[in-house]
Amino acid sequence: MMEITLILLQLIFFIVVAPFLSGLITKFKNGFRMRKGQSVFQPYYNLLKLFSKGQVVSETTSWIFKVTPFIVISAVLTVTLLIPVFIFSSPLYWMSDFLAVIFIFALSRFFLALAALDTGSSFGGMGSSREMFISSLVEPALCLVVFSVFLQFGSTNISVFSGQHAVSVSSMVAAMALFLVAITETSRIPVDNQETHLELTMIHEAMVLEYSGASLALIEMAAHIKQMIWFFLIAQIIFPITALNLANLTGLFFWGLWYLARILIIVIGVALVEVLVAKMRLFRVVDFLGFVFVLGVIAMVCAILGV
Amino acid sequence: MQFIILFAVLISTYLMIITKRTSALIRSFRYQSFCLFLAAFMTALRERQLDLYVVAGLLFILKVLFIPQLLYRTIKKIKASEELGLFVNPQLSLLWALGFTYLSWVFTVRLIGAQDAAQVIMFTIAFFVVLAGTFLMIFRMTALAQIIGLLVMENGIFLLAFTVSGGMPFFVEIAIFFDVFVSVLIMGFFVYRINKFFTHIDVNKLSRLKG
Amino acid sequence: MVYIYGQRSFLFIEVILFKMFDFFPKQIFIVDPLSLFFLLVIFVVSLPSAIYSFGYLKGEYSSSKITLSWFLLVVFILSMTAVVTVGNVLIFLVAWEIMSLVSFFLVVFDTTHEKSIWAGTIYIIMTHIGTAFLVAAFLILHKHAHSFDFMSIKNACFTMPAPTKDIVFLLLLAGFGAKAGIVPLHIWLPYAHPQAPSHISSIMSGVMIKTAIYGIIRFVIFLLGVNSSWWGVLILILAVITCLVGVIYALMERDIKRLLAYSSVENIGIILLGVGLTMLFISMKMPYLAVFSLIAGLYHLVNHAIFKGLLFLCAGSVYKATGTRDIEKLGGLIKNMPQSAVYFLIGSMAISALPPLNGFVSEWLTLQAFFLGALNSIGGIKLFLGICAALLALTGGLAAACFVKAFGVVFLGLPRSNYAQNAKEVPLSMRSGMFFLAFLAVVFGIAAGYIIKLLAKVAAVVMNIDISSMSFSLNNFILTPQAGKSAYLSVPMLALVLVVMGLAGFVVYKLFGKGKPLIYKTWDCGYYKLGPRNEYTGTAFSKPFRIAFSFFLLPYHKTQKVRESFYHVKSFAYETHTTFVFKKYIYAPLIALVLRSAKFMRRIQPGSIHLYLAYIFLILLLLIMFMHKF
Repeated sequence: MMEITLILLQLIFFIVVAPFLSGLITKFKNGFRMRKGQSVFQPYYNLLKLFSKGQVVSETTSWIFKVTPFIVISAVLTVTLLIPVFIFSSPLYWMSDFLAVIFIFALSRFFLALAALDTGSSFGGMGSSREMFISSLVEPALCLVVFSVFLQFGSTNISVFSGQHAVSVSSMVAAMALFLVAITETSRIPVDNQETHLELTMIHEAMVLEYSGASLALIEMAAHIKQMIWFFLIAQIIFPITALNLANLTGLFFWGLWYLARILIIVIGVALVEVLVAKMRLFRVVDFLGFVFVLGVIAMVCAILGV
Repeated sequence: MQFIILFAVLISTYLMIITKRTSALIRSFRYQSFCLFLAAFMTALRERQLDLYVVAGLLFILKVLFIPQLLYRTIKKIKASEELGLFVNPQLSLLWALGFTYLSWVFTVRLIGAQDAAQVIMFTIAFFVVLAGTFLMIFRMTALAQIIGLLVMENGIFLLAFTVSGGMPFFVEIAIFFDVFVSVLIMGFFVYRINKFFTHIDVNKLSRLKG
Repeated sequence: MVYIYGQRSFLFIEVILFKMFDFFPKQIFIVDPLSLFFLLVIFVVSLPSAIYSFGYLKGEYSSSKITLSWFLLVVFILSMTAVVTVGNVLIFLVAWEIMSLVSFFLVVFDTTHEKSIWAGTIYIIMTHIGTAFLVAAFLILHKHAHSFDFMSIKNACFTMPAPTKDIVFLLLLAGFGAKAGIVPLHIWLPYAHPQAPSHISSIMSGVMIKTAIYGIIRFVIFLLGVNSSWWGVLILILAVITCLVGVIYALMERDIKRLLAYSSVENIGIILLGVGLTMLFISMKMPYLAVFSLIAGLYHLVNHAIFKGLLFLCAGSVYKATGTRDIEKLGGLIKNMPQSAVYFLIGSMAISALPPLNGFVSEWLTLQAFFLGALNSIGGIKLFLGICAALLALTGGLAAACFVKAFGVVFLGLPRSNYAQNAKEVPLSMRSGMFFLAFLAVVFGIAAGYIIKLLAKVAAVVMNIDISSMSFSLNNFILTPQAGKSAYLSVPMLALVLVVMGLAGFVVYKLFGKGKPLIYKTWDCGYYKLGPRNEYTGTAFSKPFRIAFSFFLLPYHKTQKVRESFYHVKSFAYETHTTFVFKKYIYAPLIALVLRSAKFMRRIQPGSIHLYLAYIFLILLLLIMFMHKF
């Protein structure tokens, strides 16, 4: 019974809060650009609008196009159940392996790329080609970072994060590498621009160009939730949080504050990067990801040396 | 007496090496075989064994009478030129023959020691005849020269056997004779065919067939 | 000992085989779990391929040629069965040769195409080079053991000196590597597999190259016994290079079956990663990890057999339906051939290691083996294992990209030519073969816990390790690489959660979405003549990869301009190619060297009799002069 409530609680938390995080990032960006900009709840309004509109489906597409939004949202929701959020083990701690998480994200990416090719337009082909290109180059860096972080825990199970682990050089470098990987995976500047619809510059947007109405709402929701997952993972590595002590009420208050503050720090970091750096040319991303790989190697070496 | 016959063999072998004409070659071969027959006959007289007489007789009939006649007839039938193509001119061939003689003497001395002079001489000449046969096969161009070279080699082996062991077992001798006889017949036939097809019997020109 | 597993039909076949063994003296055959496992692999792929060939060969050849193909197929399967079950080195070689020869006949089966003959020539040359190495290795083994029987060789190998063992290992690696397709001996694979008929390609790619892995496991791990750690490291390095080379070339291909052949090279690399890790752990004296990595390797072996067999059968049905193998001429086939598309999709998902199919489980196991190795080892090996794991992740990503391209360009979008427009679904026999393998792909993914237990028994017998205290899964449901603690994965549960969440999404969609969607044209940005020429081609899809890996692929292009006048270009043709690095830089110089030295040696044979006689004479003279020295 406890597990079911925990599962539902975690799901609802992610579904409800994820668009808010995206809105928060946009608010910070606009703040840095000295603009008032849209409200923090704008992503919610967008989703509601999309649900209220009808869909236009292209005649060149097949059942893959129709099935992809469900696969994408299911993959992302599955991963939310595998992450420890409130307590130190995820609701499904007996299958919460980080390597499995990488493959589940790969599942959603595979089907998005296929759906893009299904439309038979150049935008779709371009989007899927670039997306598969960048994601395949991210994988080695991600794998090395996973190894170097989890080596000190003894297993790749995410639920093993004890919160007691020391902040070491290797975990800091690994966290920086993970931060850059998260920027790549969530299609943020400098890898991809979420606000543009020019074919020269879009990657993720090009894949979902043909979607409309409720399907597009599901895919956008999945993107928000994925971003939130990455932020939670990074936060846990950089700012490890101690165990929850339910007895001390003031301690509880500060614990909650610190819990939320660290997410905020990451959000501000992402917004800063988006504002300060320009989007890179596609083949400069190769060098960027090579740099991330080198960071991973450094993290691994530091982990071996015990630093 | 035996030494004279052996030296006659030696001289006839030299004659074969320096000759430039086909019929002269066959004639020298006849002389050599005749001397060989004499040597065999004298040994047969000494030993008084029947099979030695038979062997000597066969030698006379085959190698002195029959085979040279066969070869003369083949030459006349194919109307081959008298020219026995030489790779090495006669004077140089004689020098090489002298060299080969010395070589076989050295070999003999190494093999059986320098004591028994008679044996040494016999062995040397026998071995030299074999080498001379090989020389004829290599350094003469026509197919006929190669047949005769083979025959000379067989002569040499016969001489070797005779001097070393006083004759080979009878049946071996008969077998060898029969072999030589048949092979000469066949080769004579082939020379005729080669000439008919290629209109010459110059074996050196076979290298044109190389791929 | 007979371990009976698999489905009822395999039980039946294995019982028959075991009864056959009673007629032969027991020493000729080794019937241990490793052989039985490979028998399972053989039959799991051969049966659906055989059923598939009913429909495939029907319209193509005359009935006598079809009979011939059946005969060759049966001999082929029997020879492979013999290779994995004999216990005598001589009979192993005989069976190996028969397998190679029969597969050669099958590769050149389609004699009307000139490419088939060329493919067969390269194949037979490379396979014989491999067999030469094998013969050398076996001769050395025989010299030490004075017998051809496996068991006596195994006993003699305990006393073999280490340098001899190294030489035998290298010879065996070269020999089996030529058949398995390890880089740089892989060049025959992309020629032979596309030209063979599709059911033969699936058996060759799914099973025949696995017999080489059987050879490595049997001869190196079981017979020779691994004592030096550099063996494992060498195989790991070769395996990583093979993976990367295979997948990069696969991305560049435009012929479906050549793409699949290069992908086979990549997967052999992944299997060898598991085997290399096993050797490394044996030499480091870590039995648990050794068993675990061999499980990972063997699991990927059987998975690859299943999904590569499936993919080749699907490629064959595409070829049969459309008449071309060129993906740039296909497209939109999902509407004409819906069932084949589903099977190809399942095969592509399996090979890209997507949950919850079988490829996901075996790649996860291999990555876990790397992780556990890095955890339990000391020093520089950790970094080496980490980097190898990272490169494995890279090939996984590239493989997913490759199969997005393959499936997307062939089946999705608009048809690019008349071939694709007139395609029709393939007959039932072909579809049932593909269905069987697709079903197995799903089953081998979900029943992972059960299969791991069986593979553990196989691995234990190979290495003579007692596994009664090791548990690799909790009650057949959850995989535990670390014997019951901390790391877990449960594939059935994962599948269940994915399905439930998908249904939840569907429910939300239905509840909140607005009515039926409107069907209209694709967004064409205002352009009025959107057609198949506007679609992304396969070459365009893989262009970023071509540029990113250009240091290896060395692409070059040729252009041709036809001008009507200085200002007006009438047509512009552009061709882009990648260089065949191995052919150009390794094999072409080798072949040129061999031909040059042969030409040089030819001069001693001018064709003149006198010269030959002179050779004999000269040797005679030399022997005479220096007689006393002999």
